[in-house]
Amino acid sequence: MKKWMIYWQIIVSTMTLQMKQSFARPMFRFCLICNPIVNTIFLYEMFLTKGPDAFLNHVVLGAGLMGIWGCICFSSVGDINRERWSGTLPLIYVAPGGFGLIVFGKVFGNTIMSLLTFVLSYVTAGVISGQWLYIVNIGYFLVSMVLMIVCFVVVSLCFAYIMMLSRKTELYMNLIEIPLVFICGFTFPVEVLPEWAQAISNLLAPTWAARLLRMSVGQVDKSVYVECTGILVIELLLMVLFTIGLYHWMDKRIRIRATLEVS
Amino acid sequence: MDTVIEVKDVKRDYITTKGWFLRKKKTLTAVDGINFCVNRGEIFGLLGENGAGKTTTIKMLITLLAPTAGVCKVLGFDTYKEADKIRGEINFVFGGEMGVYRRLSARDNLLYFAGLYKIKGKEAKKRTEELLKLVELEDAADRLVETYSKGMIQRLQIARGLINNPKIVFMDEPTVGLDPIGANMLRDIIRKLKEEGRTVLLTTHYMQEADELCDRIAIINKGKMIAMDTPENLKKSYGEKGMDSTLEQVFLALVKKEGV
Ligand SMILES: Nc1ncnc2c1ncn2[C@@H]1O[C@H](COP(=O)(O)OP(=O)(O)OP(=O)(O)O)[C@@H](O)[C@H]1O
Ligand SMILES: [Mg+2]
Repeated sequence: MKKWMIYWQIIVSTMTLQMKQSFARPMFRFCLICNPIVNTIFLYEMFLTKGPDAFLNHVVLGAGLMGIWGCICFSSVGDINRERWSGTLPLIYVAPGGFGLIVFGKVFGNTIMSLLTFVLSYVTAGVISGQWLYIVNIGYFLVSMVLMIVCFVVVSLCFAYIMMLSRKTELYMNLIEIPLVFICGFTFPVEVLPEWAQAISNLLAPTWAARLLRMSVGQVDKSVYVECTGILVIELLLMVLFTIGLYHWMDKRIRIRATLEVS
Repeated sequence: MDTVIEVKDVKRDYITTKGWFLRKKKTLTAVDGINFCVNRGEIFGLLGENGAGKTTTIKMLITLLAPTAGVCKVLGFDTYKEADKIRGEINFVFGGEMGVYRRLSARDNLLYFAGLYKIKGKEAKKRTEELLKLVELEDAADRLVETYSKGMIQRLQIARGLINNPKIVFMDEPTVGLDPIGANMLRDIIRKLKEEGRTVLLTTHYMQEADELCDRIAIINKGKMIAMDTPENLKKSYGEKGMDSTLEQVFLALVKKEGV
């Protein structure tokens, strides 16, 4: 019980610190605020002529997903580098609280804050179209939202740990930002992709998270929903296992390769 | 007497790669087989030229780096394999303007690190106020660190390094950037730590400071230990015969003798 309190305290204080620091950065504010608004407008125009019936769903959720993913690429992961440049990375690495927990706090804080992108794209779409996205089934929507958050947290944790080992991770993150938006079907359904690409899509947990989210705002076919949830949960579990393994391996490599500082 | 730090045949290589296509590996031996022990309550100085391997040695002791060969033990635990058992009991102060959250105030910095050292809310607040007073930062405590001067940041570092009441404090050039009053304050803090039975291992480039503070001094050169003794004995055995040599003269003579 006591132990949990301490861990909770570490996570909360790291989240608060992270939010303060992130928000102080113009690049983050741009990702968080301008990006979803602009993307919503463009997606709206694109879907207006050719979109499916419930095209507003695609616009709002697409821009929201794109926004949250952008925030993760530029912030959750980039922050490890910022800690490296400010010389605080070694400090949090050796803190008895455990850097695994601290990195988790950072990533979680960022992800929660990034949910604002959904609110912004919802409002923007409402204002420009005069129609408001209507969520038929709040229950399904909330479950999907939670799964999506878990999914993005695990993905960012993975990248953040790799980041501790190699500074170059940031470059790779920038490279995969846009392709992942397409391959995971954040803006357009993956069904428009060639088959070989869809095969890759289905291996990636964010694809299923996005699918669930989109499904949950329309008429839900329960059996399909449950099946997709099952696949997502299995993929997430595999990723969690991978991340735990990665964490332990990294913890050793970091000290052997001296990667926590800029030199 | 208890031995709290044990360094046995420790070696540390850095491997650097050059180029991105045909990567060339280069090995640099920063620490090359050093041995020493530090006792509880001792102030131990590590002296040496730039690049001698002092910081690398400290990093291995604070569980930040793995030794390439040999064993480092702190409080009886291996710093690589049993790091978890050491981390809460020690702390460190690095000189320079790195290692603080510039977008937070000094108070918030300390409170945050108190949390990371698993110190609970009330206790953390008490400790933070004590330390702010100790390093004379009370008046500036609520200003963002980005508005601080170099010396103020250094004071904050010192406070951070003491947040968990560490049994051993490692200080790497802690007086860098401090004015004479600040440097004096730090020396007083170090002496007080010793009185409380805590151990301090420090590096400095100010010979007089080392002479004044340290119970024992080790001089390293290019990763190898070339002398270790009390300041008095070092001056006696390596100083010029019949003269009152300063530690600085001894240091210069020793390092020169080893040659380039
Ligand atoms: N991360 C690193 N990668 C590669 N080489 C390194 C790294 N850190 C230190 N070195 C090298 O190891 C050697 C010892 O460095 P170290 O920082 O331990 O010296 P120092 O005694 O602390 O010097 P100073 O008095 O300048 O602080 C130097 O030659 C340095 O270039
Ligand atoms: Mg150094």
